[in-house]
Amino acid sequence: MARKKKCIAMLLAGGQGSRLAPLTENVAKPAVPFGGRYRIIDFSLSNCVNSDIDTVGVLTQYQPLELNDYLGTGDPWDLNLNYGGLHVLPPYQAAKGGDWFKGTANAIYQNQKFIMNYDPDYIIVLSGDHIYKMNYDIMLQEHIDNEADCTIAVMDVPIEEASRFGIMSTDPDGRITEFAEKPAHPKSTLASMGVYVFTTDKLFRYLQQDEENPNSDNDFGKNVIPAMLAGGERLFAYLYKGYWRDVGTLSSYWSANMDTLGENPELCLNDDGWRIYYRHDFQPPTYLGEHAHMTNCNCAAGNEIDGTVVNSVLGSNITVEEGAVIKDSVIMNNVYIEKGAVVEYAIIDRDVRVSAGARVGGDKQTHELTVIAAGEEV
Amino acid sequence: MDMLGLIFADEHDADVSELTIKRTFAAIPFGARYRIIDFFISNMTNSGVRNIGIVATTKYESLMGHVRYGGEWDLNRRESGLTVLPPFSFYNAEMRYENVLEALQANLSYIEDCKEKYVLFSCCNAIGNIDYSAMLQQHIDSGARFTCLCTKNPIHKDASVPATEYKIDDEGRITDIIIGGLPDAGGYVATNTYIMEREDLVDILVQSIDQNKTSLRKDILKPALGESKIMAYVTDETLLYVDDLSSYLRSNLSLLDKDIRQELFDQELRPVITRAGNSSPAYYGDGSKATNSIIAAGTVIEGTVKNSIIFRGVHIKKGAVVENCVINQDCTIGEGAMLNYAVLDKNVVINDKRLLSGYITHPFFVKSKAVI
Repeated sequence: MARKKKCIAMLLAGGQGSRLAPLTENVAKPAVPFGGRYRIIDFSLSNCVNSDIDTVGVLTQYQPLELNDYLGTGDPWDLNLNYGGLHVLPPYQAAKGGDWFKGTANAIYQNQKFIMNYDPDYIIVLSGDHIYKMNYDIMLQEHIDNEADCTIAVMDVPIEEASRFGIMSTDPDGRITEFAEKPAHPKSTLASMGVYVFTTDKLFRYLQQDEENPNSDNDFGKNVIPAMLAGGERLFAYLYKGYWRDVGTLSSYWSANMDTLGENPELCLNDDGWRIYYRHDFQPPTYLGEHAHMTNCNCAAGNEIDGTVVNSVLGSNITVEEGAVIKDSVIMNNVYIEKGAVVEYAIIDRDVRVSAGARVGGDKQTHELTVIAAGEEV
Repeated sequence: MDMLGLIFADEHDADVSELTIKRTFAAIPFGARYRIIDFFISNMTNSGVRNIGIVATTKYESLMGHVRYGGEWDLNRRESGLTVLPPFSFYNAEMRYENVLEALQANLSYIEDCKEKYVLFSCCNAIGNIDYSAMLQQHIDSGARFTCLCTKNPIHKDASVPATEYKIDDEGRITDIIIGGLPDAGGYVATNTYIMEREDLVDILVQSIDQNKTSLRKDILKPALGESKIMAYVTDETLLYVDDLSSYLRSNLSLLDKDIRQELFDQELRPVITRAGNSSPAYYGDGSKATNSIIAAGTVIEGTVKNSIIFRGVHIKKGAVVENCVINQDCTIGEGAMLNYAVLDKNVVINDKRLLSGYITHPFFVKSKAVI
């Protein structure tokens, strides 16, 4: 019996994230821990399932081992389905040879067979390295109402930042008239978030053209979108007004973690209306000792804390001994902070030990952000 | 491992009627994020048991909702795995059963159809992290017909709740079983956990049905003491009892003791696993002061918490003071409220500035969904 899905998602998770080094030294950027309990990719995956999209192809390439392990059968996101669900799609060798994914568009091109298993009318192309909570279903509905061939999610950015993004110009109906990738002199402040809805047959036609062009970088922003515009297709902008961060650099990664703190955080994780799902690692609950003092911080499970923690995000299985102080920092799993150590304005990756009395980082007004790589001893 | 596991979800000796209004004993929440059954399923899977039946008689909806297909323990298998065994299935299908032997008789067909050589069956009254594979090894090595788990140190066992005590000779063989008395100090207290051969159990069940026998201890074990080898397996692990509400509070607060916490949760290769929720990290606000407490994820702590166990999704508002309490899932404690020695079941709302105080022997109990 023939079956089909109305819409499936293709999630680009192959990015190296070299600007996030050393956090990405052994792990793909989408699998980097975030917010105490999550990985970066949890946000896009949870957005999918919360938007009623139950079929997701995850395109992997760089350092996939930990990411593959983390994704597993997709059960944390209820994506372990018989028809649909989560599928990891690595580059592969075929009868006529094989290739690494040459660019974002080529990654989708190489997986057209996977897509056709579901015969979807629409395809959402996403990036696995953004932190945001977005209902793709509303965007899809707008795409359908506009009879669009492609809809690109945009947000209004300050003009001084616009040249870091792909910038759209639109007519009063929201139809895109011009697209410029990282323009030196931006004509608009509508920046692409790297979230696209395509009508399937149009996308396949342009992917084929793009593939046949030897001069193309096979990239959506650089090649496919401009080609569709030049071809007179109906491209629309979908204005998104919520929280969105590209945690591409260590400082933006740190800031986005801090955005989860506060009574009314910019990025609310304790949100029953839009839950972010993640894979559990079965830690016992956290114990706070006689000398613990926690102020404005997030704290996951399995921790033994007897020190002072201020304005910080703590992962799991962390020990903070008496007299140790953690301030303005992101601490990942399996970290041991001994007596009297001070950690300030720092990111501490997994499996780190900070010995008694050590000092890591300094006041955030006067110091640069300090990053301790996984497995280090300080 | 060639051993079937059976867990009896009901517990007839303990008196925790407050906590079992809507749930069977094994589904009682414990230790900030667990339910009692988690310790038993985890002990079995950590020991290599891959086929587990949970015998449930009454009020098992929350239990089934918690364990589901056993996926968290990797028991959602095509072969064997986890089976919840509801009542009215076979022998005496018109009756509800009240003790271990009747529960086994009622599930005779399930036990017959299993393939494992050995069977481990356990009540849920003593919470601990026990290596059943060592118990099985002793059972095999000693050539015993029955091996019975017991402890010399039943923590927070309430004297008013009847116990079973074993008298043991130098080789660990049980020489007498004293039912329903007060155990001697330093005596061997039974935990109602047994290992034997499955086919032997099937024979015993068939015979006991014919002979209208109803008690495992009185009708089966005691009469067999002379002719059969019945061995004690004495565990040194911490065993926490939940005999009544006070012992529930005390056993929970025992987890604040580092040694006990480590014996339960920090055993090499023996993690205690529970159903995964999807909580965000705990958030500690600007004015929070939480000390000597166990606090689960998904909580919002803005007030003061001392010597307490706080479950997932609890919100303790500004100026509230919670001391010596067990606060179950999704409770809200209003601003300026003060709680001392209170046990709150799930989803309780305590309004601003309320004062609740009990004592360690008589905790102030608030039932699920109450608003004070």
